Amino acid sequence: MIRRTVRVVNELGLHMRAANVFVERASSLISIVQVSRGELRVNGKSIMGLMMLAAPLGTELVIEVEGPDEEVAAETLVRLVEMGFGEGVSGNSGGPK
Amino acid sequence: MQGISAAQLHDERRQELDLEVIVAAPNARLPITVSDVNRPGLALAGFTENFLYERIQILGETEMLYLDTLSANQRGAALDHLFECDLPCLIVSKGLPIEPRLQELCESRQVPLLRTRMSTTPFIHQLTAYLNNVFAPRMTLHGSLVDVYGVGLLFAGDSGIGKSETALDLVERGHRLVADDIVIVSRRPPSILIGSSNELLGHRMEIRGVGIIDIREMFGIRATRVRKRVEVEVRLVRWDPAAPYERLGLEDRTTSILGVRVPYVTIPLVPGKNVAVLAEVVAMNHLIKSSGRNPAADLDERLKMMMQKDQAAFPVGDVGDTE
Repeated sequence: MIRRTVRVVNELGLHMRAANVFVERASSLISIVQVSRGELRVNGKSIMGLMMLAAPLGTELVIEVEGPDEEVAAETLVRLVEMGFGEGVSGNSGGPK
Repeated sequence: MQGISAAQLHDERRQELDLEVIVAAPNARLPITVSDVNRPGLALAGFTENFLYERIQILGETEMLYLDTLSANQRGAALDHLFECDLPCLIVSKGLPIEPRLQELCESRQVPLLRTRMSTTPFIHQLTAYLNNVFAPRMTLHGSLVDVYGVGLLFAGDSGIGKSETALDLVERGHRLVADDIVIVSRRPPSILIGSSNELLGHRMEIRGVGIIDIREMFGIRATRVRKRVEVEVRLVRWDPAAPYERLGLEDRTTSILGVRVPYVTIPLVPGKNVAVLAEVVAMNHLIKSSGRNPAADLDERLKMMMQKDQAAFPVGDVGDTE
């Protein structure tokens, strides 16, 4: 099992489209994907679950992956969040530029 | 372009349009090919430039009154102007008396002459509606059309995927079949698609393993509909784990049928999935969207508002700046 911590860096946060992009990527992986924000922990392949996190710009998320492709999975998903789900990085993010 | 003859028009609409044949003109040269009509007042007055000869010419009270004001010679000349081109059909409205010279010309030039007792304007409206239907762009689609809660769902998909079975399931649930396997779709102005079944096939259906069944006979009149507007295309496909399926429904995906944009949804089939229930949901969702609501967009809006409040409570800087 791999656990990584990332910060939400896109302006709109983990809104519906971002959640959809994450789920699409997560669903293409074999590993089980869990995403948590604080106490809240949801299935990373569920759009409704990710939206429930309601994670705005700047939030810290913990991504846990477990399975045969967990190394690739962790890398892929962490990078996806760090790239702002393809929406770009907010100037206000405090995250990597 | 394919057209209809004046005789056909008379045969099909004699009662509705209150038509009688004055000159049959069996050797008419021009068929009727357009749904617009023309009132040839200006042509009678001698101005024949831009004369729309290919249309049905309607002679109403105005035209007849004008001819009455002329001397016999002038009247002959006026009518000659009208016959400078071949005409598909002339119709005198309001049951007005036929000018003998007009009848002669129609006979010698073989232009069908009809008369209606209807007033000119309502006659033109009804005639145009009929011709619009006759000349509507149309095509034949492979699929099934079912009226589900008043929404016309057109089921598309490969042979054997279960379009007929889905339609049958929906009929069982109280919805109405319009056509199965072959749907004839025509476009009505401005951009409405109307689907109906082939006249021969009616509401018959082929169910694999059973054979041909007649829905009308089996389920009665309430299970069928003669025509229905096509509103949503439902594509049934075999489940492909690699294919991306719609998960949000934030915006409508549309396809084009006869140049009309039609929203479509793709439903991947897996064993045990109840397609009829999904089809009902598609229909109801269409009704909700048509009323101006979008459940996906609403949820996204709520989510964004929640995140905004959250962020106001814990500004980015406070969460811990990594720089």
